[in-house]
Amino acid sequence: MSTIPDIAGSRHSVAGAGRSLHAVEALPLLRLDGLGKTYRDPMTLKPFTAVRDVTLELERGEIFGLLGPNGAGKTTTIKMILGLARPTSGRVLLDGREPSDPAARRKLGYLPENPCFYDHLTPLEYLDLSGALFGIAPDVRRSRAQELLARLGLAAHARKPLRKFSKGMTQRVGLAQALINEPTLLVLDEPMSGLDPVGRSEVKALLREQRARGVTVLMSSHVLSETESICNRVAIMNAGALVEVGAVASLLASGVREWEIAVDRLPDVVAASFRSAGYSMEPIGSRTVVRIAEGDALQRALRALVEAGVFVHSVEPRRETLEEHFVRVLGLGAAS
Amino acid sequence: MISAGAIAIAQNTIREAVRQRMVLVLALFGVGLLAASQVLSPIALGEGQKVVTDFGLAGSSLLATLLAVVLGSSLLHKELERRTIYAVMAKPIRRSEFLFGKFLGLWVTAAALVAGMTLIVLGLLAVAYGASPWLLLGSMALTVIELGVITAIVVFFSSFTTPALTALFTTATIVAGHFADDLLYFATQGASAWIARTTQAVYWLLPHLAVFNARGQVVHGIPVEPERLAFAAAYGLLYMTALLLVAGVIFERREFR
Repeated sequence: MSTIPDIAGSRHSVAGAGRSLHAVEALPLLRLDGLGKTYRDPMTLKPFTAVRDVTLELERGEIFGLLGPNGAGKTTTIKMILGLARPTSGRVLLDGREPSDPAARRKLGYLPENPCFYDHLTPLEYLDLSGALFGIAPDVRRSRAQELLARLGLAAHARKPLRKFSKGMTQRVGLAQALINEPTLLVLDEPMSGLDPVGRSEVKALLREQRARGVTVLMSSHVLSETESICNRVAIMNAGALVEVGAVASLLASGVREWEIAVDRLPDVVAASFRSAGYSMEPIGSRTVVRIAEGDALQRALRALVEAGVFVHSVEPRRETLEEHFVRVLGLGAAS
Repeated sequence: MISAGAIAIAQNTIREAVRQRMVLVLALFGVGLLAASQVLSPIALGEGQKVVTDFGLAGSSLLATLLAVVLGSSLLHKELERRTIYAVMAKPIRRSEFLFGKFLGLWVTAAALVAGMTLIVLGLLAVAYGASPWLLLGSMALTVIELGVITAIVVFFSSFTTPALTALFTTATIVAGHFADDLLYFATQGASAWIARTTQAVYWLLPHLAVFNARGQVVHGIPVEPERLAFAAAYGLLYMTALLLVAGVIFERREFR
């Protein structure tokens, strides 16, 4: 009799342990906790706060955009993430470790802003050096280097000195060296900088490919239209502080700015009534686009068009772009 | 045990030095110097072998020192200025390993220059005078250790100051290091107690580079004693280790802006 409760008890405890295991949350790949950085002018010792109280967590497998105007503190934040600069307050944890611990950087890939590499080397030699610093075996790093150079369209330039490379080509070498260790976290400072539209499109495809493999990407960018199309979440920084953090879709979801009705041919009477109601109208090709700001007005306009027998081609909500949102948020920040 | 990261940095430093062609230029200059010594030897009243040995050993040491000071002064500054260090330090390598790799690469480059020039001197002496080559090897080994100390001094200064100041401080330390004993002698002759104590402290801090100079005795056919070589190696390694440890601590704390 006495064994049954024990067995039951042990089963209970195992089940309990199972529940507690499930209850443990996965460690965030990157956590910034109240991060701050104040520099002092070496001559006057006057303090300058570059980053203040930044708290963020990156989820595994997402592309996270760090946005902000020049001097917002994006690059300083990235430097602290990499251990290139020491925080004056708060801390950074890379997969649970301080960035100063080399082990924390073993699965990290980094592309600096306006990258500059050893120009006495060729891309193959530079990638070999990068691979060696990660402790990758020589034959593995050689084959990875060749694959990456082919993937980034540099196979034909593999043995050309880096000093002869254009800005766009150097940027591609930068991406290749960031990927040589098959990272789980990619930190890219302005990855679209210096690239032509084809290059940007290739980089976006590469980042989507990395996300599909489960890689987490943190990227800073000025090119907001590009960021909007690939980032899952963004953070907007201004004057060293975080202004807003959220999923791109939710940040922009509330922002239906106006409705656009495309019609074939607008009778003069209807056009006059729309004009008096304050709707804007713009002829585009053989069609006219009517823009209406409010939902109620949209219903009234649609009724009027149907009653007048006008053929309605489309009715589309025009949402706020990330760029418009960015300008609006920073404008509000400045006003407050 | 030297880490794989430090070895990779050292290899890159050697490759950079070689591709900058400074090593080649200095090697050619050294060969020119040896040729000049051959031209001068007939007027040396039967002392041609001594002239070639003296020119060869002193020239190789001087040129390798020049290489270490010139390349070493901008060793870290160039990396920080051009921001090539950013992508490197984001990889799993400690700053002290990076610094050690730079030191190692520069030392090996300078040592290779000395070794190459000494080999030429050896060949010249063997062919022209039928001299035994072994005599010069002890002196070459001492010069190689001396270059390690000089490279460590350059790396130490470059870890916290500008290239111009690094070159200035290193040159001053090398000059003072060669005359450390004289410095102590003059400063303690009738100087105040405070000056004598300060000079004594400086004397112990300075690298005693005279320990590594056996050229005078080798020129006169006296080989370098194994005990002297062992003492110089121990002293040199200790001095290099101490300087690199301090440089490592300074560089670990340095901010990359």
